[in-house]
Amino acid sequence: MTGPVLSLDKATIRFGGLVAVNNVSFDLQRGDLFGLIGPNGAGKTTCFNLITGVYKPTSGSIKFKGQEIGGLPPAKICTLGVCRTFQNIRLFPALSVLENVVVGAFLRKSTSLFSAFAYLPPAIAETGRLREEAMALLEVVNLAEVASSRSADLSYGKQRRLEIARAMATRPELILLDEPAAGMNPQEKEELQTTVRRIRDEFDKTVLLIEHDMRFVMGLCERIVVLDHGEEIAQGPPEAIRNDPKVIEAYLGEAV
Amino acid sequence: MKFWLVRIGSVLAAVGFVFLLQSVAGQNSAENPLYRLTVLAGLYVTLAVSLNLINGITGQFSIGHAAFYMVGAYAAASFSNAFYAQQPLGPIPWILVMCIVGGAFAALAGLVVGLPSLRLRGDYLAIVTLGFGEILRIVVQNVPELGGSYGMNVKPFGAPPTVLWLVWLLAILSIAVCRNLLKTAHGLPFLAVREDEVASAAMGVRTAATKVTAFVIGSMFAGMAGALLAHSETFISPDTFKMDVSFIILTMVVLGGTGSITGSVLAAVALFAIPEWLRTLQDPVTKIPLQIGGPSLIGWIVAIGLAVAAFRWLQTHFHRPLPQRVGAYLGVAGAAALLATVLGLLLGNVPAIAALKYDASALRMVIFSSTLIVLMLLRPQGLLGHHEFSWQWLAKVLRLPVKEAAA
Ligand SMILES: Nc1ncnc2c1ncn2[C@@H]1O[C@H](COP(=O)(O)OP(=O)(O)OP(=O)(O)O)[C@@H](O)[C@H]1O
Ligand SMILES: [Mg+2]
Repeated sequence: MTGPVLSLDKATIRFGGLVAVNNVSFDLQRGDLFGLIGPNGAGKTTCFNLITGVYKPTSGSIKFKGQEIGGLPPAKICTLGVCRTFQNIRLFPALSVLENVVVGAFLRKSTSLFSAFAYLPPAIAETGRLREEAMALLEVVNLAEVASSRSADLSYGKQRRLEIARAMATRPELILLDEPAAGMNPQEKEELQTTVRRIRDEFDKTVLLIEHDMRFVMGLCERIVVLDHGEEIAQGPPEAIRNDPKVIEAYLGEAV
Repeated sequence: MKFWLVRIGSVLAAVGFVFLLQSVAGQNSAENPLYRLTVLAGLYVTLAVSLNLINGITGQFSIGHAAFYMVGAYAAASFSNAFYAQQPLGPIPWILVMCIVGGAFAALAGLVVGLPSLRLRGDYLAIVTLGFGEILRIVVQNVPELGGSYGMNVKPFGAPPTVLWLVWLLAILSIAVCRNLLKTAHGLPFLAVREDEVASAAMGVRTAATKVTAFVIGSMFAGMAGALLAHSETFISPDTFKMDVSFIILTMVVLGGTGSITGSVLAAVALFAIPEWLRTLQDPVTKIPLQIGGPSLIGWIVAIGLAVAAFRWLQTHFHRPLPQRVGAYLGVAGAAALLATVLGLLLGNVPAIAALKYDASALRMVIFSSTLIVLMLLRPQGLLGHHEFSWQWLAKVLRLPVKEAAA
């Protein structure tokens, strides 16, 4: 099938009187590096929450590879191949860095719970295998040396990278990154750009990311959607977005 | 090959341990209370470890664990009374079957209570589980077929001499199951649900199934413990499963350090043993129950209060190498003992206070709860925190005392 990987069609969600996402439509093709931008409160995170099943859309449709996923339970959507990171970091604080990633990889377990209770060789072998997979992903985001630290003890930037590794461990086809560069210093941001490109090119993922740092988004994304007050005000390649008068007025200001 | 050798080795070690317990505890008879206490301690270990699976590992704040204990006990007792006489099994195989029956009924109850946990969190879930336990107990109290509030005898046979074996093998089994779970990747979804439910769901963890599984397995072990209780005591009544039993089990889990299996085991044995030990305190010569005089009681209360304050100050401000810190703690303890003695002597001159006398056994719940308060003040994260006891862990704690204290 060659249709879009993700397709939002007039997706809408209402919280009481507030329409947080209003008739938003966009398509992601396989291998896209797609940006979602807009001022604070524009509804970007809410969009992610709709796509990943945290909220059920009030109306409109959200399709992943042609299948309607709007309103499915989050775990199910993750199993289908959509995974995300969180803007307000949500790691498992008391678990080690490696264990955090294994939680993601655990999706692909094949042994039974009984085999774990009895500590049988299949469960032990699988545990070893998942830990190796997790370790390989930690190499990708440069966290291999701190694999056994408590995740809560990591710096902000490292926690954000760990979120990416954890999401990658579920082997999604589509990965959603919610402000992955927030709180990072310029050098970390540079490295993150490389990592995100690698995720797309080497690991063959489709990427949708939210980011406020315009240099970061414009330098990385090939297509961008702009939201304002829940509505889509522009869509296109970075150059077009940069010069779009509506976007400049609502978000970018004159400076960019 | 090595794997199976280790496996057989650990089973042998478990059997050896129970054998040791059996020889220490002696025979089951009216003159030997130690036997019964050892049995009850084993049941409490099972209860604490199984509640730890629900509460500590999966983070579902369930506080009515005695309900599952009760379901197991009553199910097994009713089955025994109804069917034991008509079947060919001997006492031991029959009790094993009853364990399964009690476990199954309790697991079912766990499923019923687990379902609200899908919608409720924290305090709300706690209220539901506690309410469930109380409702069930009151229902039993009002069913004459189950003995009503008087209780029921578990008829056909007396406690067989091997019940201690069964109890402690069950305790070891529950420990092994939890420890195995945490040793494999299968334990991670449970921990992840405890840590952050939204994030676990986003990583594909089936949070509902995970929580219900924890409830079912945890209550199953409690039910098996109940079945063994019914057959070792040969009498059960709703009073055995009152709310305070639930609270003691919960205290064991919290005191041991939520999530720590070894912590639960240690706390279960300690919390069960301390009140029992206080109950038996008596003067070594005259054999009359030990009495505590008013002056020394007041002296000790004041001294312990001050010592706890001093310990807390040391914990936060005194970051020296280990020997110095141990010295400081011992110094404070010594000073407190001295203060208590001096105060006791001084207060002995006040006639009104000197006339007061209390039985140590009557004070045992006071002493018990004060011990809990002191422990929670000094170690709010529980005896072992989130850790498991292992020799490496102990070595690490001893080598890095300064950082540990600063945390
Ligand atoms: N569960 C909810 N209930 C009510 N209102 C909500 C809820 N979630 C989000 N909103 C509202 O929806 C609007 C969009 O929020 P959202 O978090 O999607 O913004 P955002 O574009 O991600 O902003 P930021 O850049 O600050 O992260 C906000 O006004 C927010 O208060
Ligand atoms: Mg946001």
